[in-house]
Amino acid sequence: MKLVICHLYPDLMNIYGDRGNVIALAKRCLWRGIDVEVKSLGLGDKVEPGAYDIFFMGGGQDKEQVMVSHDLYETKGETIRREIEQGACALVICGGYQLFGNFYRPAEGEELPGIGVFDAYTIAGSKRFIGNVFVETCLDGRKTTVVGFENHSGKTYLGKNERPLGEIIVGYGNNGEDKTEGAVHLGAIGTYLHGSLLPKNPELADFLIRKALKRTYPGRDIEALDDSVENLAHKHAIKRAKKTH
Amino acid sequence: MKTKTKIWMIVGKIIGGIVRSTKAGGGTTLPGKIIRYFRPHFVREVVSGLNIGCVLVTGTNGKTTTAALIASTLKRANISFVHNRTGANLLSGIASALVREKIRELKRSKELGLFEVDEATLPEAIEETNPRVVLINNLFRDQLDRYGELDTLAKKLKMSLEKLGVGSTVILNADDPLVSSIGSNLRCRVIHFGINTDIYSLEGLEHAADSKHCSNCDTRLEYRYHIFGHLGDYRCPKCGAKRPPLDVSAESVELKSFEGSKCLIKTPAGAVEISIPLPGLYNVYNTLGAAAVCLTLGVDLRVITNSIEKFKAAFGRVESIEIEGRKLVMILAKNPAGFNEVIRTLSNLDAKLNVVFALNDNIADGRDVSWIWDVDFENLKGKLSNVICAGIRAWDMALRVKYADTGVDCLSIEPEIGTAMERLLCTAGKNETVYIVPTYTAMLEARRILSKKGYVTPYWEE
Repeated sequence: MKLVICHLYPDLMNIYGDRGNVIALAKRCLWRGIDVEVKSLGLGDKVEPGAYDIFFMGGGQDKEQVMVSHDLYETKGETIRREIEQGACALVICGGYQLFGNFYRPAEGEELPGIGVFDAYTIAGSKRFIGNVFVETCLDGRKTTVVGFENHSGKTYLGKNERPLGEIIVGYGNNGEDKTEGAVHLGAIGTYLHGSLLPKNPELADFLIRKALKRTYPGRDIEALDDSVENLAHKHAIKRAKKTH
Repeated sequence: MKTKTKIWMIVGKIIGGIVRSTKAGGGTTLPGKIIRYFRPHFVREVVSGLNIGCVLVTGTNGKTTTAALIASTLKRANISFVHNRTGANLLSGIASALVREKIRELKRSKELGLFEVDEATLPEAIEETNPRVVLINNLFRDQLDRYGELDTLAKKLKMSLEKLGVGSTVILNADDPLVSSIGSNLRCRVIHFGINTDIYSLEGLEHAADSKHCSNCDTRLEYRYHIFGHLGDYRCPKCGAKRPPLDVSAESVELKSFEGSKCLIKTPAGAVEISIPLPGLYNVYNTLGAAAVCLTLGVDLRVITNSIEKFKAAFGRVESIEIEGRKLVMILAKNPAGFNEVIRTLSNLDAKLNVVFALNDNIADGRDVSWIWDVDFENLKGKLSNVICAGIRAWDMALRVKYADTGVDCLSIEPEIGTAMERLLCTAGKNETVYIVPTYTAMLEARRILSKKGYVTPYWEE
């Protein structure tokens, strides 16, 4: 078995240790004997249809986000959207999440186009939402928790029929108003929880791996790993989130 | 000095005394905080009496060490100065240093203020001190949750430097594209320093590299060589912007593990061979910056060389502590760039390593610990024997080590830093060396524990 991960703009959109997520996906596959290939796509590169199982994109600084938004919209957006409709997965964080929505409206300057994977839009806010986050969610019908760290001023609002990733217990989430965090559309997950999200949320990592395998290898499940360190880190991060807010 | 200012000085001195006598700490911030609440321009009023003026030292990495290098040189050059030497680098720390050091010799006035300043505080510090010299060593991602983004920070620094007149000098690390971009079109004098040899060039950019694009035209920079992070000899293929010519440079470098390095340093005052007793290339930058500052102040190059060669590291940055026949080496690592340099030095050692990685997420460390995923732990492959992860975020650190897949013999978690150090020392034989790599507040905690046991002296007594 083999999975191909497409890391979008790794040098431009990697502000908060976002590559930790790619490391986690890759290792959790390798430890199970699943081959992994990580391919980087940068400015100007086209997305070859059917070549990727998981798309990943992190967050960047304002300048980088502007550079990336036009490239994503013009050279990659349509293919990525179609791939996701056909069963590919995605994890997009912060800036990546915003650009996978319909548009991003900054405080000044032109509106950035999004590629519309999520029915969501983002407008720049005046307050920066910073801190530990803890949400309750449901993955593949199982209730679980996701914990991480957010740092954004964009406020994201979901369309009526778009499902959030989870409900905020601690933190701000999408917009600091409606208690939602992130978005899930088919196999695509968007979230504001950056950096080391997947390592300490192994259920979320495996959710993506399982969904990605399903397209090419239907009926094959993945074995459980020894997640004792991951689960401890998860538990203590939740404790810390409750304490620091 | 106005009488009122003098009175506040005495008040500050008393507060500092109380703090120290209750053993609550070193009194290195609280007196300043209280004084500045009642007298906001206290710093300005006091430093206006310094006849040489102020030197401000900033940068993400190396502030404390660079300022300490400058301090030891000033001592040798018989220039009296005030210095916030404990690393309390906000304005409250500067005010506290003024109280603590200046009042001792109210009669014999100090000539110079030497202050390390937090990057984000620099604009305010420039406003308050109208400095004679400003040194910016590097700008890396460090606690973005506190500062906002790096480009925004650079813009703010540039705006405040534009206010400096022709009598001031700005000293910039030319190898850092973002830092050197700050130096264009300033009224004051600009001096550039850098490393002018590709002998320790890295294959590609490390993951902690930040400023990879031209600040004029956003084109990706091309590098002739990388020293570490985004530091190196670069040029922009589109607009032609490039590393400025170096005024003070290391023309050759030979690294000698934790012992330090040997360099040939070229300056406008001549070239000189120097043994730097501090490890790693980042300390070559610290030395070059310190030398440039001292030369600007008119100190003789021989005095500078002498003082650097006899220098002892600022507490906790790199510290070697004897504990019952064993050696504990403590190396501070508070952000990806610094941590990668520590890893580079560790990975060049011959023996397999026994290490405590201590990760805290207090305000001073940055609440967000995701930066550890930008550290290239993968470069320690095959080098780790016994690793104990400690601190408030011990579990996150353990995950980072686990996912680096370095083949560590034994990986365990012990949140209590004291217990972790003890356990690691127990596993070490006589004359063996163990390492602790802490973040800032974890380092303070480790030192507090070690000083209680009498192995090191408290930082405010050094």
